[in-house]
Amino acid sequence: MNKKLLKNPYIQFVLFGVVLSLLPLLVLFGILPSSYITLIGGVIIYSISALGLNLLLGYSGLISLGTAGFMGTAAYISAYFTVNLHMPFEIALLAGLIVPLIIGVLVGLVSLRIEGLYLAIATLCVSEILRKTFEELSFLTNGFSGKTASYPKLLGFINLTRDTSYVLLVVFLVLVMILIYNLVNGQLGRALNAMRGSEAAAQAMGVFLLKYRLIAFALATGLASLSGVLYVHFIRFTYPTTWTMGMSLNILAAIIIGGVRNIYGTILGCFIVFAVPDLFLKQIPYFGTMNGFAYIFNGVLIILVIMFYPHGLIYIGNDIKRLFNKKKGKV
Amino acid sequence: MSHQAIIADDIVLKIEELSIAFGGLKAVDNLSFQIREKEVFGLIGPNGAGKTTAFNCITQFYKPNHGKIYFRDKNNNVTNLIDHPVHEVIKLGLVRTFQNVELIRELSILDNVLIGAHIDFKSSLFSQALKLPKAVKEEKDLRDEAIEVLRFLGIENRKDLPAGGQPYGILKKVELARTLMCRPKLIILDEPAAGLNDVETVQLAQTIRTIRDRYNCSILLVEHDMRLVMDVCDQICAISFGKFLAVGTPKEIRKNKDVQTAYLGTEDDET
Repeated sequence: MNKKLLKNPYIQFVLFGVVLSLLPLLVLFGILPSSYITLIGGVIIYSISALGLNLLLGYSGLISLGTAGFMGTAAYISAYFTVNLHMPFEIALLAGLIVPLIIGVLVGLVSLRIEGLYLAIATLCVSEILRKTFEELSFLTNGFSGKTASYPKLLGFINLTRDTSYVLLVVFLVLVMILIYNLVNGQLGRALNAMRGSEAAAQAMGVFLLKYRLIAFALATGLASLSGVLYVHFIRFTYPTTWTMGMSLNILAAIIIGGVRNIYGTILGCFIVFAVPDLFLKQIPYFGTMNGFAYIFNGVLIILVIMFYPHGLIYIGNDIKRLFNKKKGKV
Repeated sequence: MSHQAIIADDIVLKIEELSIAFGGLKAVDNLSFQIREKEVFGLIGPNGAGKTTAFNCITQFYKPNHGKIYFRDKNNNVTNLIDHPVHEVIKLGLVRTFQNVELIRELSILDNVLIGAHIDFKSSLFSQALKLPKAVKEEKDLRDEAIEVLRFLGIENRKDLPAGGQPYGILKKVELARTLMCRPKLIILDEPAAGLNDVETVQLAQTIRTIRDRYNCSILLVEHDMRLVMDVCDQICAISFGKFLAVGTPKEIRKNKDVQTAYLGTEDDET
């Protein structure tokens, strides 16, 4: 009975969340340094964005390089709403979701008629336009000096600290995981899979390609926006230079490294891309302090992963298990 | 509805003067034929005769340059298929298979069959995301129906295996199962026997007849395997170089001089 319960994916998601939210406790007891909260919080934020992009890249096979632009837009809007307009966090969150979503759907309507690299280029352009807007529209964004925001204030009276904001991030991550799991295992997931597998078959089965591409694109944009809002209220500042192509590429790399079409794989990928450089690489003498070493690390990792684990590093678990079983068998 | 009078009551599909050209090549040239309810209809012709192109025109993957394609849909209304976008054709009750099996390798066989039920899902994205009771029930009902179809075709025991890596004969059956999910009026089979061995081909003929009787639908098939065509079809239309040659029962077609010439060549050809 217990084992069956543990196999239930929803219980697994919640357990995963519970384990993640234990981190502030570990810091409290002095087992881990407190910088880990910011680091892992960042991983969670990027994971939410990556889970959305995975829907687009993994399931429908479309490449978007506009993630950073939409994240940034959401971050600035939420900061503007809470700081300048003194709106509650919930309204800022909603605005931060809706505005990029509208931009995203408009962009999608125009650009989703094209595929592959052309779509990647189109979305990259949109992202760069948005970034340029962050620099120029200084009454809204404070230009190059960046914009600050505060930790979320829930329902107008619960002031969150860094640790409780971190728990909020975990809650959002678990919700997104459940949402994605439900969607990809239902009609939407099948339609997107069909589209990637064979456009002809998908159309013959009644899948309206443009509609489903648009849905996938909108979901990816929505999750990117959510992660942007969470970013600005957790990191508490945003600069135009944060939202570059490098960020979009990093999120893309996280999906490829961790595991396309795999929820835990995507999160693992984000951990490797966004936390491993800070956690471990910087400790390596000489190389660690080299500028751009993380990029080299990611590049090499992508090549290795594609060579040995084309479906993502998350499947390394299966191999380890097999190795274990083999050893047991011998003894 | 305005087309109601155009086709007789027992006709499910009527093609009139269908033409499509790619550049200077007339792939289908002035082709006309009609299919009755509960009929197995074969479209034959030598390689490159334009059979698959004709299929693609009927299912709206290609928009023909000229001609009409009247179809009697599930609600007994007659429409011109050319007025419908490709993804709406299945809603009318017209569904097809592909020459090179088009399945999704990563999905299980059951999920592949469920793609055929895409249009039957009525619950919104919102209720799917939150797994509201209505969406859960819908998914379960259609899943049961898909299992039922797989059982009918005798491959229920493989339902949870991924489609990639299954033998070709099984994949063909999965594609057939996928077409049955929409309760079709007319199924279009593009070379259903290609890649099957002799035993499987004999079984296929039986399956085609059973499908027709059980689902009360018509079947249009393109096939090179003459034994299958002659065995299973009620009516056959022969074409060559996009042009209509003859239509008739298998016996009539076998005797037809034009058809013999198209397949075997004339004596002049040999010199």
